[in-house]
Amino acid sequence: MNVGDPIEQSALDRRWRLWASAAVGGILVVGAVIGMLVLPNFQRENAALDLWTAICRAVGITEGSPAYRQPITTAQALPVSQVAWDPDVLDILANANPQQGAQIAAQVCVACHGENGVSSVLEYPSLAGQSSAAIYKQLSDYRSGARVHELMTPYAAQLTVPQLASVSVYYGRFAQQATGLGGRDLPGDDYIVKLAREGDSARALPACDSCHVPGAGGPIETPVLTGQNLQYLAAQLRAYKTGDRQNDVYRRMRDISEKLTEQEIDGLARYYRGVLF
Amino acid sequence: MIDHGATERRILKTELRWAVFVGFLVLMILGAIVYAGISMHINPPSNREFIDPKTLHLSGEFTEANLGTSVDTDGQVTTRVIATQFSFVPQCVVVPANRTVTLRFASPDVIHGILVSGTNVNTMVVPGYVSQVHTEFTRTGDLLMPCHEYCGFGHSQMLATVRVVPPEQFRPGPDGKVTCG
Repeated sequence: MNVGDPIEQSALDRRWRLWASAAVGGILVVGAVIGMLVLPNFQRENAALDLWTAICRAVGITEGSPAYRQPITTAQALPVSQVAWDPDVLDILANANPQQGAQIAAQVCVACHGENGVSSVLEYPSLAGQSSAAIYKQLSDYRSGARVHELMTPYAAQLTVPQLASVSVYYGRFAQQATGLGGRDLPGDDYIVKLAREGDSARALPACDSCHVPGAGGPIETPVLTGQNLQYLAAQLRAYKTGDRQNDVYRRMRDISEKLTEQEIDGLARYYRGVLF
Repeated sequence: MIDHGATERRILKTELRWAVFVGFLVLMILGAIVYAGISMHINPPSNREFIDPKTLHLSGEFTEANLGTSVDTDGQVTTRVIATQFSFVPQCVVVPANRTVTLRFASPDVIHGILVSGTNVNTMVVPGYVSQVHTEFTRTGDLLMPCHEYCGFGHSQMLATVRVVPPEQFRPGPDGKVTCG
């Protein structure tokens, strides 16, 4: 039998495999002992912890670092909007009755928001093209007082949550018919078009289009701006800028509007007005 | 005729020599980790802390008014930042130089990343978890904090400022808050 024969080679390597495995395993054990027992013991003094807590923190069973005091907070929750997209809310929207929504819309909404959700009163927004989530968010905020309007607040307060959801779902159906990026004219100079489509990195201004066109992938409650009424859009940007409107979770729109000049607000509103159908 | 036994012994000798060398490297690395851990309180980011991303804005700690830098009664400096599509809240935070600062990040939507340029602060911000970093800033001035994990179309405009001020210029208000003003 020659050296190099597969069987003999395997037998020859056996001892090496065992020792190599033992060495790797040994280093792992030593590393774990150092990282999870020895180091926390030395580090815990800085945070005045007992050994067991320090070990639990190092292992990752409890929160915090073995070397530092874990900050605590007693802050009160002061949410700008009560809407949270948990499964309960999504269920309400999924099970809402669009026929009921159509009835409420015919009685209440059409006067200002127009037939088929296209508003001819320029101060009021068109609802066609918006997702159910976007409409539900604003109706809920009117209902809870997070957003205030002399007409919308009393209307929303009269409706129950399932009724709000049914109206949202009814108008959400028009989202399919509303135009996307393709069918609109693009009034506005190149600078405004660039701001809307690309943003401005130097001012940390994200492009409006990164959230506000259909399917952009931003937060679920983001409204679609294409085709929206000019006066409404400009008024909302100014309300965010002055702080009159604050129901944007985590200042998403307030921080952006504060950076926009008056000319940019007018330019962007004109750009997004476009055409709807 | 080739002497297989001699070849085998030569290979064995070489392998043992390299094994000793590699073992020495492993020991050096372990030693460096232990030294850094004991002398500089450095440890792996093992903080495992859950938080519900859906109700983050309804929580006490990450409510809008509680974000930014605050100093508690024990003098511990904590900076809380939300990473969301497509901005950091607040857009500018103040921290003191040469003092331990605890940075706490959370995301209500998608995975973001945080990097404070020129420092060792670098972490992912994963929805569902609180990302926590303890550090000491040594260089004063405005440091750039960009998002370094692709989070959507507005990712490249997602950046904030970390303003490191000398300790004597770090003056908390009556509520313990410090803002860029």
